[in-house]
Amino acid sequence: MPDFTPLLMTETAPGPHGEVSTAVTLGFAALLVGLIACLALEEKLHARKSVIAGLFAAVCLVLGDAFHLIPLGQVMVGGHGIDMPVYIPPIDWNVIAIILGSSLFVDITSRSGLFTWVAIRLTKASRGDPLRLLTLYGVMTVVFSAVLNNVTAMIIVGSLTAVSLEKLGRRDKLLGFLLVEGLLTNVGGLLTLISSVPNIIVGTTAGITFVRFFLAACPYVAVATVVTLWLGARLFGIRRLKDAGQRDEARDLVASFDERDGIESQGFFWFGTAMLVLFITVIATTPVLPVIQDLGMGYVALAFGALMLVRFRATAEKFYQALDWDLLGFFCGLFVVINVMEHAGVLALIGHGLSVVIDLGPTTGSGLVLVSSSVASSVTDNIPLAAMLAKILAADPVIGSDPGSSFWWAVVFGANLGGNITPIGSASTLVAVTIIHKHDLTLTFGGFVAKAMPFAVLQIVLAVVYVLVFL
Amino acid sequence: MPNVDQFESAFRAAAKEVFSYKAVEIRKVLVVTDLEAGKAEAFSERAKRFLEVLDDSTQWTLASRDTFDTVGGLLDLVEQEAPDLICSYRNLRSRAWRWPYSLGVHLDVLTQVTPIPVMVFPHPRSDTGAGRVSEGTRVVMALTDHLTGDARLVNHAARYTGKDGVLILAHVEDQVVFDHYIETISKIPSIDTDSAREALFQQLLKEPKDYILSCREVLEGQNLPLRTDAVVTFGHRLREYRRLVEAHNVDLLVMNTKDEDQLAMHGLAYALAVEIRTLPLLLL
Repeated sequence: MPDFTPLLMTETAPGPHGEVSTAVTLGFAALLVGLIACLALEEKLHARKSVIAGLFAAVCLVLGDAFHLIPLGQVMVGGHGIDMPVYIPPIDWNVIAIILGSSLFVDITSRSGLFTWVAIRLTKASRGDPLRLLTLYGVMTVVFSAVLNNVTAMIIVGSLTAVSLEKLGRRDKLLGFLLVEGLLTNVGGLLTLISSVPNIIVGTTAGITFVRFFLAACPYVAVATVVTLWLGARLFGIRRLKDAGQRDEARDLVASFDERDGIESQGFFWFGTAMLVLFITVIATTPVLPVIQDLGMGYVALAFGALMLVRFRATAEKFYQALDWDLLGFFCGLFVVINVMEHAGVLALIGHGLSVVIDLGPTTGSGLVLVSSSVASSVTDNIPLAAMLAKILAADPVIGSDPGSSFWWAVVFGANLGGNITPIGSASTLVAVTIIHKHDLTLTFGGFVAKAMPFAVLQIVLAVVYVLVFL
Repeated sequence: MPNVDQFESAFRAAAKEVFSYKAVEIRKVLVVTDLEAGKAEAFSERAKRFLEVLDDSTQWTLASRDTFDTVGGLLDLVEQEAPDLICSYRNLRSRAWRWPYSLGVHLDVLTQVTPIPVMVFPHPRSDTGAGRVSEGTRVVMALTDHLTGDARLVNHAARYTGKDGVLILAHVEDQVVFDHYIETISKIPSIDTDSAREALFQQLLKEPKDYILSCREVLEGQNLPLRTDAVVTFGHRLREYRRLVEAHNVDLLVMNTKDEDQLAMHGLAYALAVEIRTLPLLLL
């Protein structure tokens, strides 16, 4: 391969492996912008995230090698040099393991009928009253988003909402319900370290423990949930039933739901319940559990996934097929791209720009990072943003060594809540829009933004105040 | 990852139809015959004995051959009397009762025009007819290919079930239609035929079974003196219905006859009503 380095070595910038010319850095920065633009236009391009990220990773690797940017040769593992392809070490396998293991665990646990049981019990508890239904579904969305993941939570609550409102003859409220639930997935996604991918990336990079993350996020999530539900009920005219006859009719209609219908085996139902409680407990206590703390959360997720597979050992391949390989492929490609960008000095360049904001101090700086992260997350995927910012913040000597820094929280809150501004801002709002369209309701891109903006602005303002005052 | 359809299907399956009991009141019965006075009285008495489950206070009115002449006349009579039940037999004012090909124009129109249930007895002149009608309604079968949610059918069938009798709720899925769909599915590569066959088979039977459970629970709650049995199966519908009727020694068969998509009687009900000539049929 021809050596392009001397041609472009006009001005130089310090990179991890020597000097990199500004022209090269800018060239790679353009590639990064291209990747982000393609991810933002994913729907228009009719291309899956994994294909886009994979293609950019392939191009980055070729160019990175051409300019001698990426380190080749053996990789040191446990003090031993091991031959490994250059694109393997950059991947954060802990993040991949958490996503893969927990997806597998959640999918199999859902076969026990546990989530449908909980969802239907709450539906019955609402007695069919629209406002009670919105409140209970909202809380369920937040809890499911926190315990499972945003997309699964939206799928469960959204599909139940469609069925129950149809049964109650309240299809006119479906749009409001689904929109509020979609917006709450990103609020609930803030609750724990494993609730969303940005949390996993930022939390693991910063060294924030599960319990610490939960305690820090919990008050905000509680307040934001109440405010979102209140605003949703007002804007979409969701009120309590006043007439006794209507109340009786609604109660009878939801009473016909049979929560036991989805439970094929009582034994597996209780096993699934126990395993879910155990999973959350072990994930939460991983940093203090002997032996487990060395293996990490990725191991815990994979081990629980494998344990659940025992029940379906003869048909395990069905669950492998159901895994979101697009998401996993996307992460692998993305980590490779970011690694090359780091070697090309692009992250240092962005970090330099960000340092201007960081230098504004923890108050103004954090606030600005939160708002700008929100805006950036609203138009493109929040995962590359979180991964990039996490890496840049980790490189800062002060912030990188302080898991309690407000900058970490600014990225977490911004990356999550930005998904509420547009329908493409997060996978769960996209699922909400998909369900809306599936039920022949009209909601354009602009329509979503117009309806969601008051919620998003309120949530982001609350987040800025919360991060600046309490974190 | 789970998908929307997976959970929506689970929730739709969980949203079950619940049977709602509504007592069917029979205050007045109109017996329509084309027989001369004495035989008409005898037919009416026969009908009363068969319907001993009705209250003693039920008012019985006999409309013999002199009270109506045409179909229009019969409809006027029904409107005037406003009964809760009409008792009659096939091929009124016709000799076509000898041939098992129709119900006759009077009943054809009557069953479709009036919302009043019509109980069709075997023709009093047929050899097999009168003798086959039992004393009372010990075994009543509600027959349909779509039982789920059909509370009216169940309520009527329950009303006519005699004391300590058996109410059989029968749902038969059409095997021919099922096979046709599975054959079509077998030509679609993206659908696993065996899984589809099994899942569809189970779901088609599950819904009526669940509904019958709900019927049983509610009827028991009403303390009605009857036992509810379930028959949920696949088969060639007409053949299967005939087999079920014979196998269970049914005294009364209850069917829906109205089809909102057409003016004529519901296709399957008509075929059954024409072919099952030895049993009283309650046509709703």
